[in-house]
Amino acid sequence: MKLYLTLILLLPLLGGVINAVAGMRLPRRLAEWLACGAVAGSFACALAAFVTYRSPVTVELFRWLSAFDFQAPVTLYYDPLSAVMCLMVTFVSGLIHIYSVAYMAGEEEYARFFSLLNLFVFAMLTLVLAENLPLLYLGWEGVGFCSYALIGYWYRDEKNATAGRKAFIVTRIGDVAFGIAVIWMFQLFGTISITGINGMGFLMPGGVITFLGILLLMGAMGKSAQMPLMVWLPDAMAGPTPVSALIHAATMVTAGVYLLARMFPLIGSSGTALAAIAVTGGVTAFYAATCALAQRDLKRVLAYSTISQIGYMVLGVGAGAITAATFHLLVHAFFKALLFLGAGCVIAAMHHEQDIFRMGGLGRRLPLTFWPFVAGGACLAGLPLTGGFFSKDGILTAVWLKGGALYGGLYLLGLLTAILTAVYTFRLIYLVFGGASPAFPPPLMGGGEGEGEGVAKVPRLMEAILFPLALLGLFGGLFNISAYLGKGWLGGFLAPLSGAGEEAPHATEMLLQGIAALLAIVGVAIAHLCYGGERRLARVEAAAEPPSGVVAFFLNGWYFDALYRFLFIRPFETLSRVLWERIDEGVIDDSLDRLASFFGWSGKGLGRWTSGRVSVYILSFAAGAALIIVYFAWVVRG
Amino acid sequence: MIVPLLHVLILAGILFVLGLVCVLVWRANIIMMLIGIEIMLNAAMLAFVGGANRWGAADGQVFALMIIAMTSAEVSLALALVVYLHRRKKTVNADEFNTMSG
Repeated sequence: MKLYLTLILLLPLLGGVINAVAGMRLPRRLAEWLACGAVAGSFACALAAFVTYRSPVTVELFRWLSAFDFQAPVTLYYDPLSAVMCLMVTFVSGLIHIYSVAYMAGEEEYARFFSLLNLFVFAMLTLVLAENLPLLYLGWEGVGFCSYALIGYWYRDEKNATAGRKAFIVTRIGDVAFGIAVIWMFQLFGTISITGINGMGFLMPGGVITFLGILLLMGAMGKSAQMPLMVWLPDAMAGPTPVSALIHAATMVTAGVYLLARMFPLIGSSGTALAAIAVTGGVTAFYAATCALAQRDLKRVLAYSTISQIGYMVLGVGAGAITAATFHLLVHAFFKALLFLGAGCVIAAMHHEQDIFRMGGLGRRLPLTFWPFVAGGACLAGLPLTGGFFSKDGILTAVWLKGGALYGGLYLLGLLTAILTAVYTFRLIYLVFGGASPAFPPPLMGGGEGEGEGVAKVPRLMEAILFPLALLGLFGGLFNISAYLGKGWLGGFLAPLSGAGEEAPHATEMLLQGIAALLAIVGVAIAHLCYGGERRLARVEAAAEPPSGVVAFFLNGWYFDALYRFLFIRPFETLSRVLWERIDEGVIDDSLDRLASFFGWSGKGLGRWTSGRVSVYILSFAAGAALIIVYFAWVVRG
Repeated sequence: MIVPLLHVLILAGILFVLGLVCVLVWRANIIMMLIGIEIMLNAAMLAFVGGANRWGAADGQVFALMIIAMTSAEVSLALALVVYLHRRKKTVNADEFNTMSG
């Protein structure tokens, strides 16, 4: 087991380091094979570790930090939660690595891309496998850095570099809270082992636990793009599409949910903290779904849907349903990676056009992209019997079972969000794939493609990657089938983690699933009424007008960017300007300048005394000597 | 014959002042300034010798011999400088050499 766990971590690190050091000198094929092979090997090890798993294992690799009673060895912890996360991360990133080979075929700096991608996988696995909080924090920051560097991969365009910085800075706000929580927990418990802390939670008064829970929630807000720190994720779409699929949909952004699930035994005892988590998740899910309704950019729609789905997961954690949240996390990773990769195919076919109102008719041109994309969309919308349906329903059921006014309201909000999700998903599908042909001729690349009318060919490899993901998304429900059909595998596997959860009566569960299914179908029907068939053209024409009213409100993400600009960035810039022009230049620089000019002036004045005439010097010397003698004489006399 | 120390010191003081005045006043000629310095040194020497005589100690006389040796070295060096300065400016007026003015 120790060998497997070590290799899971070391292989991506090795691939990343080799590519970073020597990637440009290696033949391109070799560098690509190295990157893919490292992750594939990591997946094989994760699989082997999973198969041989019997009970939670703690493996200490080596001592790292050790000072007085502070011990932070590099220790890995392999339990059901990290097992399923490891499998998911290595599997999805393996597929995305292969996809990137085709997607990034035209890029010059492939070594930087692949080494960062490998390092990201390493950092993410460190985060998932860490047994103590400093190591987890290390992985947490590692994925943040790789995310920053990959969002700004095309850094020569300033917009991309700015988006990377924004992501880094906004997540940093949450990380500070998380860092405070880590240090505070060490101070409270005298240990930073996650299992140790989770076992000692009952020793602390409720208020402290609540506060810790809220600090951890703030860390999760930053990483998982929850309200109010969600503004970075839509901008993070500036990165290459495989990066969006891997980091900003499937793995990194779910780290916050993972953290909350990991620390759940500690924070679960505080009702207030759980309520805060649930409200954050529910409100974020609703917020992002409304924003996704109005977006024009293909990837931004998916980004907002990611925020919304992570909101569901956080809501699930807030309802105490760790299994349901993890289940949704896994299934979401599959179908959202699928949707992003499908979007990558579409973008490649449209010559990097991302405006969905300028697309259309791709259903017939790219059937191999279309059908997996529809499968992913069905999962996202929660159409019955897809994986997304079961996982989302698990969360909603858990929220319903919590009861009470707060959770009841959140349940209704979740249902409303479910309708919106179905609407925006199928709006996307109708706009991109429906209709006759692109509403405008995209810039032609060399040579007429005859039938294609400017739609470029998508590499077979890219489309082939979509199928396993589509299958996993569609049949992901089998991982954790509903209780009335038998015993869910994932629920049983994760049971030691979350304890025996509340079992819903079968009739209630079927009823709730029926409601969810009905709402999803209603959402699809609304989308069809608005965007299906002939009405699609009218919508496309209407979209040529600048947006107004509520559409503009949603398009700009409820103007949160403007609000933050007004609340934080503008005062900060004003303060910086004052500090720079008034304090730094005005006071510090100026006073030094004045001092220097005073010394210059006085030096010049004193310098005039040195006449250079020897006689004057001698005379003053004699006069001085005479004075001293007179003084001595006076002293001796006195 | 006993010359009281006071008389010796008075003579030395007069000699010293004369030398000093010579240095201060006669600046039109560097050589005269050097002579003034010599007179001052001799005044000091006289005071040493007088003191040695008064207390019957040899230190003062040894010091006088040291001063004589030093003076001869100093004069030979200073006169070489004077020759050099005269070559540069064709003058021995001390006030002409004021390139060090600030």
